[in-house]
Amino acid sequence: MSSSDIAKDKAARLLKKRGSVSGSSTSNDYNIRSHRKQSMSTISFIDEPSHEDPSRPPVRMENTFQMAPGKRFPHGQITGIIKDVLEGYLAEEKYEPELCKQMTKTLSEVVKARVKELMIARYKIICIVHIGQLNAQAVRIGSRCLWESNNDTFASFEYRNQSLFALGTVYGIYTE
Amino acid sequence: MDDFQSAEESAFVVDEVSNIIKESIEGAIGGNAYQHTKVNQWTSNVVEQCLNQLTKLGKPFKYIVTCVIMQKNGAGLHTASSCFWDNATDGSCTVRWENKTMYCIISVFGLAI
Repeated sequence: MSSSDIAKDKAARLLKKRGSVSGSSTSNDYNIRSHRKQSMSTISFIDEPSHEDPSRPPVRMENTFQMAPGKRFPHGQITGIIKDVLEGYLAEEKYEPELCKQMTKTLSEVVKARVKELMIARYKIICIVHIGQLNAQAVRIGSRCLWESNNDTFASFEYRNQSLFALGTVYGIYTE
Repeated sequence: MDDFQSAEESAFVVDEVSNIIKESIEGAIGGNAYQHTKVNQWTSNVVEQCLNQLTKLGKPFKYIVTCVIMQKNGAGLHTASSCFWDNATDGSCTVRWENKTMYCIISVFGLAI
């Protein structure tokens, strides 16, 4: 095998590898399969979660025998945080695509950080922030969860001004 | 050994979830054009179907499914999420779907029990 052959082979293998990992190629296959070409979809996700972390040896904890959260998810306090953050950052803002693109990321990070500061033990936190332009269009945002309803909960707040609306939602999921 | 499930069986597999999401969207909205009166129904259907299929996977996860449907008229919409969770076990998947008249964004968060 000449060196160029080896290079080609390697490139093909790399391509193949990438194809199996990336979401966009699977979505193309799907569109062809379903014979609907008017619609398209893109997928995004966090890095493939791995189960083994070789850098950390497994730690064996003793049982706590604690079945319920010591402190419930403070619903009102968290709604207050979202309100605070959304109003603080967006009060003077007009809708601009670039700004809002950055703003959603910043706001979700800020809200998460503020909620983390409350130090609610045993709760995982998910913050979602939507910012949209007000342009006489209709939007519907909904969610549904499969969880334990007596411990898991969410808080949300909507803010709007002249040119944009923002919706912040924080889900608190109890983990034993 | 008290592990009855292999890693693959109890992990959040993005490909699997994204397929479920896309099938639910196609099933609930399919080739329809935006209709104000239907949107309510569509959002619940998509989310419901997603959750149904996710439960059928029989994995030890709690799920959060969110759905945004927006009419296309040139208005912008941005969505971001941030999570505080166990990176090793939990995962998320977002699918953005659109046709000529609307955008639909579905996010699924899976949190290991």
